[in-house]
Amino acid sequence: MKKLLILIFSALLIFTMTACTNNAADTSKAKNSDGQTVIRVVTKDDGPSNPESVKYYNTLEKALKRDENLNVKFQLVEVPSGDYSEKLNLMLTGGDIPDLIYFQGGDQQMAQQNLLENLTPYVKNSKYIKNILQPYDKERLKNYPYLLWIKPLDQKTPVIRKDWFDKMTTSQKLMANPTPDNYYAFLKELVTTHPGGDKKPAYGITVAGDIAELDSTFQMAFGINQTWLKNSDGTYVFSKVSNNEKELLTYYHKLYTDGILDPQYITKQWDTKEKAFYDGDTAVISGTNGKVIDLYNGKMTQVNGKQAELVVLPAAKGEYQGFGATDVTKESRGYAISSQSKHKDLVFKVLDYLASPKGQMFDRLGFENEDYKIDNGQIVLTDKYYNEWFARYWEPSEFNIDKPLKTPLLSEPAVKSQDLVKQAYTQDNNFILPDKFVTNWDAMQNLYKEYATDIITGKRPVSDFDKFVQEWNKAGGDELTKYANQKLK
Amino acid sequence: MKIKAKLSKIRKDWVLYAMLLPALVYFIIFNVIPLIGMKLAFEDYRIIGKNVWVGWKYFDILFSSPAFLNVLKNTIIISAMKIVFIFPIPIILSLLINEVRTGPFRKYVQSVVYLPHFLSWVVIAGIWISLLNPVDGGVNVIRNLFHLPSIDFMTSKDHIRWVLLFSEMWRSAGWDSILYMAAIMKISPSLYEAARIDGASSLLQMRYITLPGLMSTVITVFILNLGFFMNAGFDQVFNLINDSVISVVDILDTYVYRIGILNAQYSYATAASLFKGAIGVVLILGTHFISKKISGKGVW
Repeated sequence: MKKLLILIFSALLIFTMTACTNNAADTSKAKNSDGQTVIRVVTKDDGPSNPESVKYYNTLEKALKRDENLNVKFQLVEVPSGDYSEKLNLMLTGGDIPDLIYFQGGDQQMAQQNLLENLTPYVKNSKYIKNILQPYDKERLKNYPYLLWIKPLDQKTPVIRKDWFDKMTTSQKLMANPTPDNYYAFLKELVTTHPGGDKKPAYGITVAGDIAELDSTFQMAFGINQTWLKNSDGTYVFSKVSNNEKELLTYYHKLYTDGILDPQYITKQWDTKEKAFYDGDTAVISGTNGKVIDLYNGKMTQVNGKQAELVVLPAAKGEYQGFGATDVTKESRGYAISSQSKHKDLVFKVLDYLASPKGQMFDRLGFENEDYKIDNGQIVLTDKYYNEWFARYWEPSEFNIDKPLKTPLLSEPAVKSQDLVKQAYTQDNNFILPDKFVTNWDAMQNLYKEYATDIITGKRPVSDFDKFVQEWNKAGGDELTKYANQKLK
Repeated sequence: MKIKAKLSKIRKDWVLYAMLLPALVYFIIFNVIPLIGMKLAFEDYRIIGKNVWVGWKYFDILFSSPAFLNVLKNTIIISAMKIVFIFPIPIILSLLINEVRTGPFRKYVQSVVYLPHFLSWVVIAGIWISLLNPVDGGVNVIRNLFHLPSIDFMTSKDHIRWVLLFSEMWRSAGWDSILYMAAIMKISPSLYEAARIDGASSLLQMRYITLPGLMSTVITVFILNLGFFMNAGFDQVFNLINDSVISVVDILDTYVYRIGILNAQYSYATAASLFKGAIGVVLILGTHFISKKISGKGVW
């Protein structure tokens, strides 16, 4: 019986091994019966089971044939959008490597394995892309030439509903001179006068789970204008272990103890944060400038009426003013071309076409008579555009198309948030962390998060910050600081 | 000849073997084939080309990392708490449900205690975070009624492990009691009848009939549970963790997920998982042989 069981077991093992063998589609020959070159594409929001995605790529195929005489057939790869980054990395690690890959993290490890194509020569020889690159895109490509993501800056800006903002006596002073003290006075007035009635808002400001959103508004006012701060002796110190950070955490602690910062911010998620905002439980939240502020504005006016349109608040002003330095080490997400692809030039031509006026018209505005209409030679965007359409590829700040827009791409507060972020642009001096620091870095980050939260919520005194610095240095900070000082010299 | 006879036996009972097949395929795909991947713990993974043999490199990094030692400590504490405090609950629950005589009420009780098992940890985390909210959560409202101060359970390092324990207990006690309920059903009613004739009370019947009848199931389940000792509950911790309590609830599985999957350090993560698996095997074999020696009962 044992022998028989072993026999069955072995047969099953072979059967399942065969079933699990990587069966990635080989596109090396890759011309279908219509003579089209097959390009496999993997992206987060587009898959073969989504009719909108199929329609988009079918239309793009026709446009490429019509405008550039490129005979392409896109083959979309299905990857679940939840946990996209993990699923994608496992797929690539398993040897299934599409021609065009959208990354949302995890690309660095793939680049280290020489799996991604260096895009520098392609960009240099491009017809359109080189002209729409933003200064930060150029810098990122120089440092890390594997990812392309031409989008607006992604800093977060704080917003409040206009009817509440107008009721505050401290609002004009805040706008004229947004010091941390004036911010405090404004937020304090909100939670003491309750402009929404019925004890609303209960809190001045809330964030989703961690203090990164608070930092985007306040940290530059406390002198944290870069990841590595330069000391008077010319050496660099990590901003999170600097005295500036200690002062910043002291300020947050004051917001917390005085009932301004939501005491439940640690367990808040993005959805509960937004709900608290629309329900009037909190007065101020932060969102990514542009599209996200546009969404917040749309939802807020839908729930609370036109008078609740959003006002974008300025970044706190102190030693510096801004919404945080822009990381130019690399794109945090974007498109890469597989170094194993047999159609690298063709794939880049597709990317370049999407940067052309015709490509931009399609990618950013959608389908005529569905997402926009032409009215007397002007483009009128429809509700479908505002509710559903998103540009899958490039969104440079200059949007050049041959017809004028009758309706704006974004609402007024959203455009304002973009302008404020652009005005405050500063470049960060951080660098890509070498592999040897990765495991320690995880522990160092956790150490910071825990101390920072405990100091803000009063579980530890502010003086414990010095203890944190010692522990952080011991956990690998000393070594990292040494490396940073060599790197940034 | 022997094989022929066995093949004919299989042919005769082919329906039973067919029913076994999906389970076998499942275990081969998810439990046997991954064993081949264990060698990744000793290699540097290459997507293009052959992996590079690095020996014990990743184990050296693992055991020299203070972060790993901390998550190992957390895993052991949380798992030990769960074994000690949660393991007896389904047994007690099954004994209590067994004492509920009226049919509809018994069914109602069973449905209520089974229900949480079908909820995902995302939902359960939402329920518990609301329930333990220091401002208007049910638990703190009751505390306030007795003039006790509110506690922010979710961000308290002293309380968060107990939150993990009670939420796990709430979710799994009912469902886990099914096994013991089935074992109780197997006990011959004539034993209870004889005991009643001899004048034994319900409590004595439970003590001298039900509990001894349950013992072999209890031992088997306990030993098998020990095999999963190092699985302190990824989904649970992942959904209930926050910045304030990382140092006391970060477990091996969440650590492996962050370092291995999110940072794509697959060899390092495999080394950590292999270590975890090895502890599970040692615990299961150790307990099995000790139990065999003491009580004569084990897993096989």
